[in-house]
Amino acid sequence: MGEGVKVINKTIHGGYHFNLEGKPQDRLIELGLPSEVVIPLKQGFGREVKSLVKAGEEVKAGQIIGRDDLGISSPVHASVNGTVESLVKLESSQGSINAVVIKADGTIDWQPLAGHNRDWQQLSVDKIESLLYSSGVTSLSGKGIPTRFKTSFISNREVEELIVQGIEDDPYHLSLAALLAGERGDHFIEGIRILQKIMPQANIHLAVNSERQQMVKELVLRTGDPEWLALCSLHPKYPQGNEQLLTRTILGDRAKNSADAKKVVVLSVATILKVHDAVVEGKPLIECMVALCGPGWKENFHLKVRIGTPLKAISSTYLQQAANYRLIPNNILTNRAITDLSFPVDRSFTTLAAVSENKAKKSRSYSRTFLAAFNPLTEQGCDANNHGELRPCIFCGNCEEVCPVGIIPHLLDKHVKRNLISKELIRYDIFECIECNLCSFVCPSKIPVARHIKLGCQKLIDYGYKQQPAVDPEEEELVGDYYVG
Amino acid sequence: MLRLCEILNNLQEKESLKVMRPVLRAADSYLYGSDEVTLGAPHIVDNLDSRRYMLMVVLALMPSTIAAIYFYGWRALAMILVSLLFGGLTEVLFAIFRKKEIQAEGLLVTSLMFPLILPPTLPLWIVAVGSTFGVFFGKEVFGGTGRNIFNAAIVGRVFITVAFPSLMTTVWQEPLLGGLGGFLSYQADVITSATPLIAYRMGELMTYSYTELLFGAAPGSMGETFRFGIIMAGIFLMVTKVSNWRIPVAYLGSVAIFSSIGHLVMPELVAPPLFQLLSGGLLFGAFFMATDPVTSPFTGPGKWLFGLMLGLLTVLFRGFSGAVEGVVFSILLMNAMTPLIDTVVLKVRYKPLERRGVPDNV
Repeated sequence: MGEGVKVINKTIHGGYHFNLEGKPQDRLIELGLPSEVVIPLKQGFGREVKSLVKAGEEVKAGQIIGRDDLGISSPVHASVNGTVESLVKLESSQGSINAVVIKADGTIDWQPLAGHNRDWQQLSVDKIESLLYSSGVTSLSGKGIPTRFKTSFISNREVEELIVQGIEDDPYHLSLAALLAGERGDHFIEGIRILQKIMPQANIHLAVNSERQQMVKELVLRTGDPEWLALCSLHPKYPQGNEQLLTRTILGDRAKNSADAKKVVVLSVATILKVHDAVVEGKPLIECMVALCGPGWKENFHLKVRIGTPLKAISSTYLQQAANYRLIPNNILTNRAITDLSFPVDRSFTTLAAVSENKAKKSRSYSRTFLAAFNPLTEQGCDANNHGELRPCIFCGNCEEVCPVGIIPHLLDKHVKRNLISKELIRYDIFECIECNLCSFVCPSKIPVARHIKLGCQKLIDYGYKQQPAVDPEEEELVGDYYVG
Repeated sequence: MLRLCEILNNLQEKESLKVMRPVLRAADSYLYGSDEVTLGAPHIVDNLDSRRYMLMVVLALMPSTIAAIYFYGWRALAMILVSLLFGGLTEVLFAIFRKKEIQAEGLLVTSLMFPLILPPTLPLWIVAVGSTFGVFFGKEVFGGTGRNIFNAAIVGRVFITVAFPSLMTTVWQEPLLGGLGGFLSYQADVITSATPLIAYRMGELMTYSYTELLFGAAPGSMGETFRFGIIMAGIFLMVTKVSNWRIPVAYLGSVAIFSSIGHLVMPELVAPPLFQLLSGGLLFGAFFMATDPVTSPFTGPGKWLFGLMLGLLTVLFRGFSGAVEGVVFSILLMNAMTPLIDTVVLKVRYKPLERRGVPDNV
């Protein structure tokens, strides 16, 4: 056991531990260079950037092809060596975004960032910030990684808490073992150290899957200093790793104050590794690790792909051809499916699930509510079948039991269904909902509870009971001192 | 040769069978499952549906059902079949009339539970009347399973208790015991006039030992006497989370408490706690009927209050009312109180916005 490293156990109420079939093996395979990439000019956190290149221009992998120094954003890079073919519009779930199409010339080398240093301790804080910004890594978080560039709403000197999330709570997720294999474990610790240097005020919390805490504990022990971060162990039940929830779980009451909550940064393990790569190896965001999950792939493993690779380049090689599958990036409970296979992989991708449509009227059991719950090793099947017909609510209480924020989903559902939109809904904490969609998942009557709650929130805003929360980075006022370049 | 699922699909397409469509659809989905897929996030949903949920209750009712046949002969099965037939007919006619889906899962539970709380001597036509009445007025008029206010089986039972009081309270049978028991005969024929509860009220005190009560040697309603099986099934339902543990615990606990107090004060009227727990329909009611999620409070504190009140009412009814058996009346009464209990609990749990320091028009 890791003597000297104190591990704090914390957890949310509710939640649901998924153990779906088609989890990725720890193996990492590199996908061959695509012949053509499509680079969206909005990837991850921040607003869309302006293209710096024109059709016909030669570009190098790692070259910045889009940036915007005025709004909150991070630069976008060419991911292959080649020629810009055209500028196109992509229809994504966030609306229409511009993208650059690059024809690859087949060479695999890339341009490192100027000024990176193997011995990063030698680098000044300013230099590290500029490396992080120009690598694009700063966009890999829900609220951006703060630097003195406009990469987040706050500046890095204001960050009070840095939470590193490795809980593996999503139904499908990158495997910690694959991410931290071999020397990557040390890179991970280095990455945190780098961030510690640019965020001098921050307390560092490392939140890890309780089933993998031994692995992480050993990494922390190797640094010889058990005090520099707080290690928290959390049961990997969904949505334990949700940014908002995790902040509350770890910080407790302090997170309730919205001004304090703003000064918290939550980063994934994969992001920390990218921080290391950018500063130590000078590697911009030209590739990412995507786990192929779900029963639709011929094999489930981790795939290293160049950003901008069209999905069809992956699906044509690895997807089973026989049946109908839907492809869902990152979270199969909350994200939209991608129907257009020419859509590219962008830097926010971590997993790509292929879920069978399964209209055949038979399916494997994957309920964890009944007897199967007594054997947590039972792997649950994964398909898009509804597994039953729509029925009236029977007040079974399953939704309330799994709700991570402690609201009563079926009660809100009933109000919204009868169109009783009033302050009563706010009183029942409808705005606490974090849209994890677990209530819809567990409902035996197959009621789209979560959708109704979301609709209720929207109606309350439309009727003027509450102001629209600012989601657009442009609307949020900037705080702190920024370097304007 | 066509497979059954294809035949069902073909029949559903036929215009001439339009009226029968709810029946065919129900049969199809019951036998083969759903062919619908999720529309967007969440892309996967749990395999648990209301059908399986209810089938767990049916499964839990099996010990009582088999015991009913063992104790009272094949006539018990006849009563169950009559109840299922007439309850089912009511549901089907209603579904066709309202052009809605048949919700067979809820019906199965109601119509199976109903005969189990009847005296074994009841004429079959009364079973039919009660089943029809229960399903119709207990459930369908409110909009079907999930929208009913009262437990449908109890509505049926209370109706025939009021309409045919002598048949419901005076004619009981001694159960067939030993060997294959009732599996070899159509019905039990030793008539007795008293269940242990009635005997206690007539001053005969304890006519049966606790072991006899536990394993069903005493007369009573068909499915209520094999109490060991009921306890096991009740625990099964609680462990699988089909029924919530709070209500049975609160109900049985409060019966024990109130009857101990009552027995100390008025021993001739109020029976001692263990006897109360092991007689009449208390265990069956507590594990199967009071826990019906639709007609009991959904809030945690509400469930405790519900169980507590049920216990108090049951002891009062058993000790002081004209009817010796108070379980069904208590549950019916508390079903009516359910919305009130939930409203009060929610009012306490969620403080008004003004008092939370949330300004108007946040």
